[in-house]
Amino acid sequence: MHIASGFLSPPVWAASAAVSGTALAASLALARRRLDDRRIPLMGVMGAFIFAAQMVNFPILPGTSGHLGGGFLLGILLGAPTGVIVMASILVVQALVFQDGGVEALGANIFIMGVVPCLLGAAARGLWLRPKPGLAAYAVTLAAGILAIVAGASLAILCLWWSDALPRGISLAHALALMGGIHAAIGIVEGAVSVAVVRFVLAVRREAVLGPACADSYKEAA
Amino acid sequence: MNLYNRRTLVGGAAIALLIAGVISYFASPSPDGLEKAQEELGAAAPVRQAVEVPPVVFQEYNLKWLGEGFWANAAAGGAGSLLVLALLLGIGRLLRRGGETLGGEGRSASPRS
Repeated sequence: MHIASGFLSPPVWAASAAVSGTALAASLALARRRLDDRRIPLMGVMGAFIFAAQMVNFPILPGTSGHLGGGFLLGILLGAPTGVIVMASILVVQALVFQDGGVEALGANIFIMGVVPCLLGAAARGLWLRPKPGLAAYAVTLAAGILAIVAGASLAILCLWWSDALPRGISLAHALALMGGIHAAIGIVEGAVSVAVVRFVLAVRREAVLGPACADSYKEAA
Repeated sequence: MNLYNRRTLVGGAAIALLIAGVISYFASPSPDGLEKAQEELGAAAPVRQAVEVPPVVFQEYNLKWLGEGFWANAAAGGAGSLLVLALLLGIGRLLRRGGETLGGEGRSASPRS
């Protein structure tokens, strides 16, 4: 879902860079207090995993593919601040080293694939930190995963619209419906993969997911 | 580094490398959701001056000198994954050094059942 270079107008990319820059600065300040010895390696390998997963485009509709966003998953496993740092790092590497996503669109892309889905994932995080996450955690994660992708997709269209990068004859509603429809399908995969990965990581690295803030409550629960 | 963290790194990196280096080669070549929507809306071509990033080492997700085959993709995916991993470990280390407030060394030994 990377916005390429040559689409966003200077006011739009500058405003989105300011918003994402602020979010990233706040994330760095907040993450400091939440990082412990076990979480830093988890943060690193989750970044490597999301980078890898984004390379795997899966067919979703005839002639259309989708790939994992990953921000939602990071929000659940690491919380919003650390998740935003990881997504921003991935997007910077993709833009600067692999020509994937516009350099001037980085602010917008970090907001669309980082800030928004990370916040939604963080909202679902509490359900997974319970001793036995049940059907509610699965259902909420699937629904919020779809929402995260559709929200990001809608924001991408809005950024293009504000930048006059959509043809004159196209109505905003039509563009949003088209983009939302495709990404609702991609979002189902995002939600399902998120459930599977969260279950796996919780099974093998629960302590690192819980982090320092939860270490004591974990000990009590265990 | 303790065994727990070494296992996190080795296991996680192995999974990422398998996906980036091998599975990604079989990815769908179709345009992704945004590209497809832009095509259908007649908005696929840039409307203003694009910022060109020179493909110094990688031509998109292929190592330049290997063309476009399996190994070019594997090298690019593997290198990209490890680059992200290294970058994040560096950021984590810097943040940790800056904020020795909570979760100090004393806590790291605990809940391991």
